[in-house]
Amino acid sequence: MTSLTLTINGRTHGPVEVRDELTMNDFLREYLGMTGTKFGCGAAQCLSCAVIVDNPDGASYTQPTCVVPAISFNGKAIRTVEGHAKDGELTLLQKSFIEHFAFQCGYCTPGFLNEAQVLLERLAKQPVARSDLEKTIAQALDGHLCRCTGYVKYHEAVRAVILADPQHYLI
Amino acid sequence: MPAPLDETVPLGLASTTPRQGRSKIRPGLLLQTVIAGTVLTGMLTTLCAAYGASEKASKGLASPESFSSISGVKQRSAALFTELGKVLTHPRCVNCHPVGDRPRQGDFGRLHQPPVERGADGFGLPAMRCPICHQRANFEPARMPGRPQWHLAPREMGWEGKTLGEICAQLKDPERNGGRGLDDLVHHIGRDTLVGWAWAPGFGREPAPGTQELAGALAEAWIKIGAACP
Repeated sequence: MTSLTLTINGRTHGPVEVRDELTMNDFLREYLGMTGTKFGCGAAQCLSCAVIVDNPDGASYTQPTCVVPAISFNGKAIRTVEGHAKDGELTLLQKSFIEHFAFQCGYCTPGFLNEAQVLLERLAKQPVARSDLEKTIAQALDGHLCRCTGYVKYHEAVRAVILADPQHYLI
Repeated sequence: MPAPLDETVPLGLASTTPRQGRSKIRPGLLLQTVIAGTVLTGMLTTLCAAYGASEKASKGLASPESFSSISGVKQRSAALFTELGKVLTHPRCVNCHPVGDRPRQGDFGRLHQPPVERGADGFGLPAMRCPICHQRANFEPARMPGRPQWHLAPREMGWEGKTLGEICAQLKDPERNGGRGLDDLVHHIGRDTLVGWAWAPGFGREPAPGTQELAGALAEAWIKIGAACP
């Protein structure tokens, strides 16, 4: 057993003693009841379980939770799908997902949402040329699997958010 | 002040209420219990044996001394490298020394899933860095291999699909071995912690032959007498 304390969506959780072999996905879903983070393939291949990890240096990245121990998140700050909307107001990205009918069953959506959010934040710091945008989006979303094959719509939804505010995301 | 955790008991872990008021055990029930216990024990034994069998054993690796009967120095050196080649061409090594930009995985060297790429520094693309999944140690509940600094060998160090002679020439060429001298190779093969994972790869993966120390000793002996190639 190891003590675990972490911040999720701005709220501190723990300290709590957890088994060393407990996955982060089980910790979120079974201990905390935060079932927005999905369990898909269990092998880090579909990334429906990905959450956002916020580094102290300001950099953020997504990380699958199904293949890593919960204790590896000790002291870290993460964001899950539950943390995007504020006071019931969806983010522009979430609205764009809906407007583009990006998802059908929605199981992969938390992973795509987190990945796209990280991309938007990265582009806000490091804008890219319009000519590189399609490749940039494709590379960012690459690896996320959608059995309803919503890839194009996810791509279009992210692109729409970026093109709606080009001064923010593009060179 | 940390927020309290939800104390909801996970599904399947809730305790059951013991039956009250039973004072007699029926013989038939006792017999059924014994039979059930025997069957369960047998099943558990079988499962444990299957688990043990799936933890694959390492194949052997000859020691440097066992080549002392080869009188020709060049032939002995080449023979030492050939033995070391059992390690170098093993999936545990080749999978992360690909000639392309995608690592391979498993004992059959299939392309890595998810479809990761080496990226600029060998640690993956910005959205899919190796250490995000491959952490400091193997995580057996998810069969996820791990060691610090998990990354691909540089592209010029790829030897997937090459012959032992080609690999040997490549290993001696600083342009294609990560800028290493021959002594550095001994350290890399014999002591590098990431390389050492090949001998402790976790459940379902065959370890590299022998031990890391033995592989390092073979490399040292090979170099000491001329580093000849097969």
